[in-house]
Amino acid sequence: MSGRLRAALTATDPALRDRPLAELVSDLDVRGLGIECADLEAFRRATSNLYERVRALFFLCSIHRDELPSRPGFAPRGRVPYDGYRHLLARRFEEAIAVFLRAEEASGPNDALSSALAQAYHQLGFQTLADQVRRSVRSAQGNQWMFRVGHPLDQPLRLRRELLARADADAPYPVLRERTPVRMDLTHSAWSDIFFLGMDHPEGARVLNASVDLAVRGRDPRPEPPIECWLRVIDAPVLRLCSVDLGAFADIDSLEEVFDFARDHLGLLKAAIIGAGVIPPGLEGSDRELRQVLATLCGEGRGLEVVSRVRDIPKGSRLAVSTNLLASLIALCMRATGQTKRLTGPLEEGERRTVAARAILGEWLGGSGGGWQDSGGIWPGLKRIEGQRAGPGDPEESISRGRLLPGHQTLDDEAFPKAARQALQDGLVLVHGGMAQNVGPILEMVTEKYLLRREPERTARHEAESIFDEILAGLRASDIDAVARATSRNFDGPITTIVPWATNAFTAAVIEELRDRLGDGYRGFLMLGGMSGGGMGFFVDPALGPGVRDLVQEVLLTQKRRFADALPFAMDPVVYDFAINPVGTTAALVPGDEALLAEGYYALVFPSLLRVDPARLPASRRRELERVGSACRTRTELGGLLPRLFDAMLPAPGADQVGDHALSVRLAEAGFDRELHERIRRDLVAGRIGLAQNRLPPSASVEDVEPEDVLDTLPGVDPGLAELGRAALARGEVAVVTLAGGAASRWTQGAGVVKALHPFCRFGGRHRSFLDVHLAKTRRIAQEVGARIPHVFTTSVFTHGPIDSALQSHADDPHVLGLASPGRAVGLRLVPTERDLRFLWEETSHQVLDERRQRMRESVHEALIGWARSSGEATDYTDNLPQACMHPVGHFFEVPNMFRNGVLRRLLDEQPNLRWLCVHNVDTVGVDLDPARLGLVLAAGRAMTFEVVPRRIEDVGGGLARVDGRVRLVEGLAMPDEAAEFRLSYYNTGTTWVDLDALLDLFGLARHQLADDEEVTRAVRRVAERMPTYVTIKDVKKRWGHGQEDVFPVSQFEKLWGDLSALPEVSTAFHVVPRVRGQQLKDPAQLEGFVRDGSAARVERLCTFAPRSVAD
Amino acid sequence: MRIHKAVVTAAGRGQRRIPLQEVVDRDGRTRSVLRVLCDDVAAAGCEHVAVVVRPGDEGAFEEAAGDVGVRMHFVQQDEPRGYGDALLRAADFVGDDPFLHVVGDHLFVARGGVGCARQLVEVARREGAAVSAVQATRENRIGRFGTVGGRLVPGRPRLYEVERVLEKPTPTAAEQELAVPGLRAGRYLCFFGLHVLTPAVLEQLRMLGEGATLTDALARLIGRERYLAHEVAGVRHDLGERLGLFAAQLELGLAGVDRDEFLEVVLAVLAERERTEGAPVEAPR
Repeated sequence: MSGRLRAALTATDPALRDRPLAELVSDLDVRGLGIECADLEAFRRATSNLYERVRALFFLCSIHRDELPSRPGFAPRGRVPYDGYRHLLARRFEEAIAVFLRAEEASGPNDALSSALAQAYHQLGFQTLADQVRRSVRSAQGNQWMFRVGHPLDQPLRLRRELLARADADAPYPVLRERTPVRMDLTHSAWSDIFFLGMDHPEGARVLNASVDLAVRGRDPRPEPPIECWLRVIDAPVLRLCSVDLGAFADIDSLEEVFDFARDHLGLLKAAIIGAGVIPPGLEGSDRELRQVLATLCGEGRGLEVVSRVRDIPKGSRLAVSTNLLASLIALCMRATGQTKRLTGPLEEGERRTVAARAILGEWLGGSGGGWQDSGGIWPGLKRIEGQRAGPGDPEESISRGRLLPGHQTLDDEAFPKAARQALQDGLVLVHGGMAQNVGPILEMVTEKYLLRREPERTARHEAESIFDEILAGLRASDIDAVARATSRNFDGPITTIVPWATNAFTAAVIEELRDRLGDGYRGFLMLGGMSGGGMGFFVDPALGPGVRDLVQEVLLTQKRRFADALPFAMDPVVYDFAINPVGTTAALVPGDEALLAEGYYALVFPSLLRVDPARLPASRRRELERVGSACRTRTELGGLLPRLFDAMLPAPGADQVGDHALSVRLAEAGFDRELHERIRRDLVAGRIGLAQNRLPPSASVEDVEPEDVLDTLPGVDPGLAELGRAALARGEVAVVTLAGGAASRWTQGAGVVKALHPFCRFGGRHRSFLDVHLAKTRRIAQEVGARIPHVFTTSVFTHGPIDSALQSHADDPHVLGLASPGRAVGLRLVPTERDLRFLWEETSHQVLDERRQRMRESVHEALIGWARSSGEATDYTDNLPQACMHPVGHFFEVPNMFRNGVLRRLLDEQPNLRWLCVHNVDTVGVDLDPARLGLVLAAGRAMTFEVVPRRIEDVGGGLARVDGRVRLVEGLAMPDEAAEFRLSYYNTGTTWVDLDALLDLFGLARHQLADDEEVTRAVRRVAERMPTYVTIKDVKKRWGHGQEDVFPVSQFEKLWGDLSALPEVSTAFHVVPRVRGQQLKDPAQLEGFVRDGSAARVERLCTFAPRSVAD
Repeated sequence: MRIHKAVVTAAGRGQRRIPLQEVVDRDGRTRSVLRVLCDDVAAAGCEHVAVVVRPGDEGAFEEAAGDVGVRMHFVQQDEPRGYGDALLRAADFVGDDPFLHVVGDHLFVARGGVGCARQLVEVARREGAAVSAVQATRENRIGRFGTVGGRLVPGRPRLYEVERVLEKPTPTAAEQELAVPGLRAGRYLCFFGLHVLTPAVLEQLRMLGEGATLTDALARLIGRERYLAHEVAGVRHDLGERLGLFAAQLELGLAGVDRDEFLEVVLAVLAERERTEGAPVEAPR
């Protein structure tokens, strides 16, 4: 019966409407699923109900991604039409879907097309939801007028008179100061505060949100509102913005710059100024003068200064610091322009709601995003924040079940007695674990699982909803232990069931150690935000006193050091003291002659003023200088200002030189070849190499392979061959080589960790690293055949020490001989050329982002091109930590390094029978020494056997091709044009079976010559010279301040292993293997699919873990 | 409801001289603003007019009013303390009667033959309720006026049941509290400067005490008795604004019997400017 999914989506009976998709289609075959897809496609186009439409899109995505590929008889091969892919990149999702559906009609359903359709439906689903949030934000009452103001004279706001009153014409204007707490979510109701969830299921969207003041333990004397902002009129027709924490200030004199969020670190202040209506968003692109708007607002020749400070609370605190800062700034600007009843004191309820709505608007404008509870700091105390049903008059009515903005109800003394407040403050240790992570993918996972009503996540969500009531009851009874039990159960149960990636090895280890060390004194864990590892809380027995906080700090620091190589830490852990703030955001007006802004503000702004002839400064500025000068002598809080001013004006010499020296030492240690480096620089500058030059000449013929060019093992491998493989294994003929020089830059978005040691997933009940998993697979096979199998991890300067030390802990393993093969080459990154940056960003295809983010990205690109020009194109990149300035030179070198560094000799000494290497990337977790596959390789006896998989849309970056008649692997960098890749049916897995003697022969070496270092070096260089050199651009993070990070593009070069397949003297074979074997895990967002499609369970079956893991 | 009394408030800051200014009215006669207002009030059926003035201004106002067809009274207001205070001072004059309140620094020019004051008084008589004259105003100007929110009275074009009144709101507050179904987005009903008020308004002013504004009292009227707003067919000019008097004169001139003469004057000025500024200037030898 067709239409069963449509019936479920539109059912009024929740029992049918909320049935999981997998259950609804469990009995359908490929044809049956196809019929349902066609019906859903028609339905989603016809329905006017937003959530039916969105759920239909996610159903379609899941059928193509999860259901069809698992059905017998589903065609495993196909091609993705390139024009559909282009539509996808340009966010023309409907057009892309139409192209893919036409192709499906023509060629029949297949894996490649389904992967493309799944991606298109997925993106369209999120786009539809995001569009709806944006529409709701714009149409929120109180926000609409700002989009209608198109001319400075239309600006209806005026600055309040109190802010323009000053003692005389030379006096500074009064200062309006806003102080705002941050918010702490005591419940973590399973991400129910995501807008999409709150708007579809308002009844389930509930949190308990506390406004808290903070003190960094050991630094601040007492908890205070962490957010402070100041606003005043100035005698210049500019917007003067200053972020004390980010060390950024600017005088803005054009509207264009106000709307340029990525130009500097002042984007959040700009978003607040716009979101509050001071510069209404309707003025964007109006081609008018900022000074006209300011004149309308506060008088001819005058401007506004806005300063913010968050008292150095680090990023990733999960306390919504940035959203509350945005809200605080918006409240400040609204007060100043008469949009609140009172200029000073707390806000009224309606005003808080307006501020919250505008904070959402500001986040949309600035390209960031928070949940609907995040501006909770502007409310006082502890409040219930709950989703609201949309009703008559709401812009959401008849579009979604819930409103965009939730309702807030502050808990009174009965619901949250004073005793409970004190016990909470005494018994909860709030910390920042030091990890700063991107929670975006987590929020997408949660939304999708919710919309698909997947089990067991759906049951977990219901459980989280009931835990909310327990927490509420615990607070009412002042029973904080009950609260702790509930939040711990929430974390161990619903939260990690819904998103296993919300926790990590660091968090698990900290909890375990605290539990061990505190015994009964440990009461529970509080998960904050989207991911643990940053901001989180530990409940302890209050009787343990303040000293327990020192112990928590010690444990955090110890565990951070333990995982420093494996997990991305942005800083050392911090412990806070906190207090519930009973007022919420509040403001005071200080007369200009008495007002002092943050010390950091003066340290930032005064150096440039002090360099100017005083006579050229406005009188009010001179008076301020005098006042601050005298305050420095009398006020203790300004005691540190004078030294800071001296430091700023006369920087201590040598700081840069220390960094340069450390880099030189590291380069020397790692075998940096300065001569090669200079040659590459010259070639880069001259345009002989570069991104455009990576490509094969346009005259090269790149075609898809023929069926006879590959050996298709998808139907299975003859089990009879397994015996051949087992025998070779038992004879000690085989070793595994895992390429593990990488620093997981994509996985950690440039932060850099040792990827092999990254505990990426739980297996057998605990977090396991890539290295653990690879060793465990080898161990299982070794046990099976009764041999000890060598397993080499090739390392780089970035990864050698930690990997070597991890392998040492497995030294006595009777089944696996773990060895680290140190890299013998390293490169020094270069500032990219403008030519390459423009080629990368303008000539090659990229996923276009939504409108706001795309504009942010373009603005960032322009800023980075400016940075490259001013830093010097193709100059050495040295302005970062040494490891961030160096780069590995490509995996071509990793096996030849084994010739040079003695590892191969040692292997051959121990296992003279060694003849075959299984070489694979560290992130190919499904690969193993499957005896049948090995038997197949042995039977064919080729020098190199490469494993490939049928291509899916996400497999971008080269593939298997006939290039001018020869079947070989082609890197994506070398493709003569982007469309060529889409004609290829297979994608490289990075796994190669290598006949060791044939490889040595290719290098002109024999086994006995491995002892001759010079001969080996010559041989490697000889072959390397035949390999193409690719220039690539990578993102590298530069960390600064308190958990802040900037990302810079840098140039590096590499030579790649797959290009060996192009050498005519190498005999090759290409085996098509299942995706579960060949899939590489390069991005944490893939983990969800890795578990969902059964890959994780399969990997677990392939493993025999050692009693102790690296994460232990 | 019989409305035979009017109160003109003219003691505000910067307002004292405005009603004494002279304009050429629609009939081509040169008269004071006060006289124009009083004529409108008389045409609306009011027989008694109290003018709230600063002490000592009575003589000049009496002279400016001239031989007007209503009985003039003067009420003193020592300091400019707003319309609320001014109306309370006229309480004895008003007694228990509903009355027309006219702000003295505005000129009202009706579209069509019926004056603005009369339009309002007729609505108040018919409905038997307090009514404020209002005008749909763009959001960038609402910060200068009292503004009402409400809904149309069924079957009564341009008549609204007032549900909310705010004094000089920001568009943020207006959007949240003063939206009126049927008006274009970004437009709100702002006070026109004419109200028919009931004694209950004065009672509310008394209860609110010192510093209470007329808007405060009107806000409290809602829910206590029926309070309406009527979009009059006409325009108002705030003579206290820069160019306010000029705009009012232009409006009167173009709406009245001397329309052609006015146009001629305007065109002559423009033509002369064109001739002298647009002519090519001969370069000096």
